[in-house]
Amino acid sequence: MKRVSVLCLGALAPAMLLVWLLPASPAAQDPATAKAETANAWTPSRTPWGDPDLQGVWRYEATMPLERPKNLAGKTLLTDEEVAQRDAVEREQEAKRLAGEEGTAVGRQSVADSPIRGNEYNSFWQDHGRPRKVYNRTSLIVEPPDGRLPFTPDAQKAEARSAARYGVGPYESYLDPDTGERCLTDGVTALMWQGPNGGHNRIVQSPGYVTILHEEYRDRRIIPVDGRPHGSIRQWFGDAVARWDRNTLVVDTINFADKTNYEWANVWTRPSETLHLVERFTRSDAETIDYEITVEDPTTFTKPWKAVIPITRLPDKTEIYEYACHEGNYAMANLLSGARAERGGR
Amino acid sequence: MRNGLLVVAAVVVVAGIAVARLGVTPAAGRAEAYTAPRTADGKPDLNGVWQAFSTANYDLQAHPARAAMALRPAPTRTEPGGLGRATPADLPAAPVRALGAVGGVPAGPGVVEGNEIPYQSWAAARKKENFDDWLTRDPEIKCYLPGVPRATYMPYPFQILESTNTILIAYEFAGATRTIHMEDAGSSPSDTWMGWSRGHWEGDTLVVDVTSFNDQTWFDRAGNFHSDALHVVERYTPVSPYHLMYEATIEDPKVFTRPWKISLPLYRRYEKDAAILEYKCVEFVEELLYGQVGIRDPGAEQTHK
Repeated sequence: MKRVSVLCLGALAPAMLLVWLLPASPAAQDPATAKAETANAWTPSRTPWGDPDLQGVWRYEATMPLERPKNLAGKTLLTDEEVAQRDAVEREQEAKRLAGEEGTAVGRQSVADSPIRGNEYNSFWQDHGRPRKVYNRTSLIVEPPDGRLPFTPDAQKAEARSAARYGVGPYESYLDPDTGERCLTDGVTALMWQGPNGGHNRIVQSPGYVTILHEEYRDRRIIPVDGRPHGSIRQWFGDAVARWDRNTLVVDTINFADKTNYEWANVWTRPSETLHLVERFTRSDAETIDYEITVEDPTTFTKPWKAVIPITRLPDKTEIYEYACHEGNYAMANLLSGARAERGGR
Repeated sequence: MRNGLLVVAAVVVVAGIAVARLGVTPAAGRAEAYTAPRTADGKPDLNGVWQAFSTANYDLQAHPARAAMALRPAPTRTEPGGLGRATPADLPAAPVRALGAVGGVPAGPGVVEGNEIPYQSWAAARKKENFDDWLTRDPEIKCYLPGVPRATYMPYPFQILESTNTILIAYEFAGATRTIHMEDAGSSPSDTWMGWSRGHWEGDTLVVDVTSFNDQTWFDRAGNFHSDALHVVERYTPVSPYHLMYEATIEDPKVFTRPWKISLPLYRRYEKDAAILEYKCVEFVEELLYGQVGIRDPGAEQTHK
């Protein structure tokens, strides 16, 4: 989690535009009403052709980490006091941000915490822009009950190798950096809630389709909701088909292709060929989608895991912008020629 | 104009649809005989997967077939000439020679109204340089975002996804997507590859005003280009259930002496499995762009010391 696309962000920043000009209105969240499970109480408006309306620009704005931190093992919920404390920290950081302070004072990762040189710059892109919402849950993962990713032993080793390598190298050829640094994708699993500033996604509906535009890497999913069966072509984003289950959009994706040369920076986002992803999008109120994801992949996990993620609707007129990553990927050539210079060539 | 007329005539015949009064001009917006179906909120319904079948991406202007996109001049004749005025054909440039007949450029009638692209004189010279140096200059080769209008007539399908106040045009090439704002969405904070698109309806015609371009994209593989002052007005007019007429007016006072116009039909891809698939070409061009930069070149399987 702590390695969220950080290196590539710094590398690619000149080529991209990010949304952050958000109103600094405090996002009030009454901890007592924080929900751990999907609620169907709120009735969404409908599109003119009668589907529940999920449209808008959305991002993840909560403080919950994917996995339950080890120091909270066995503790699924925070107390009201703990929630209030964390909420106070968010507001304090917001005040400092408005006062022009930077670095850890405003909640950015410290340079010491990162193995990546130049992280002062990278941390700039991690700014949340406004206070995050504090929920009482201690992890996004709700199954298994320990809130941890059920990695297979092989995947655990891969995670360790990847961690040791990230931002360090070797970078002998363009196949060595991860898919983000190559401007390809960070994978579908985390598309809706990871990425810079929580991952901005624009959902657009048209009859028979739900299209999700993810700003980072301009990842795009055109998802048919017309009863068609899965196709047979393997792709980076797999083959997604969807249906409506009352007010919930259920997206089922298989046929992923994993064409990376090296392991994914975050192994749990790897779209291996055995991955089966089921996503459920339910609007729980005017500004929230409860996004529930079930990840089944025997290559990477010993059992399926499930996460419930609140996604926040950004104000009307919020845009996502063109992400010309590859077009401005000066980092790739610099990374490779730098590695070559270090090796003692040229 | 005559060529455009032929194309439209062919469209009508193929579709087996009698379109009265279309024969006068192919200009979009005047095919009054056809009325598009309506969406649930009463707008013309342009939803679907569409594709151009045209040589426009090779060369917007009328052109005979060529041996390759990258050429080298024909060798000077050493034999005494026979009849005068024979022009020896240029040869494929060495890097593309292996493609043979697959790498040739099919002839085409062109899509430019009047066939002339009104370059300023410096720009005409630059266009010729671009043509001669196509292999290293064309952004399509590098998998860069294709720009507008080029994305429309590249040999890949695109999908129109029509919502209420937003229309997406999702291109297969390079995963490019344009958001057409049908309500006021302000202006672009920066220049972009695909431009900033504002749309409105004129009858059945979707009119899109596109601005905020950078100067990096081209119009075709023949080196036609523009500056960051480019302004494109597109018109998408349904002329049958299976066809849109596409028209783009191109204005760029830094490069051209006057606005000029292209038009060509777009065809509905209506086979059962028509869909926009992935064409993430970044991974297809990394060897070209970075293969020789690193310590190791995966393509050449050699190590640079």
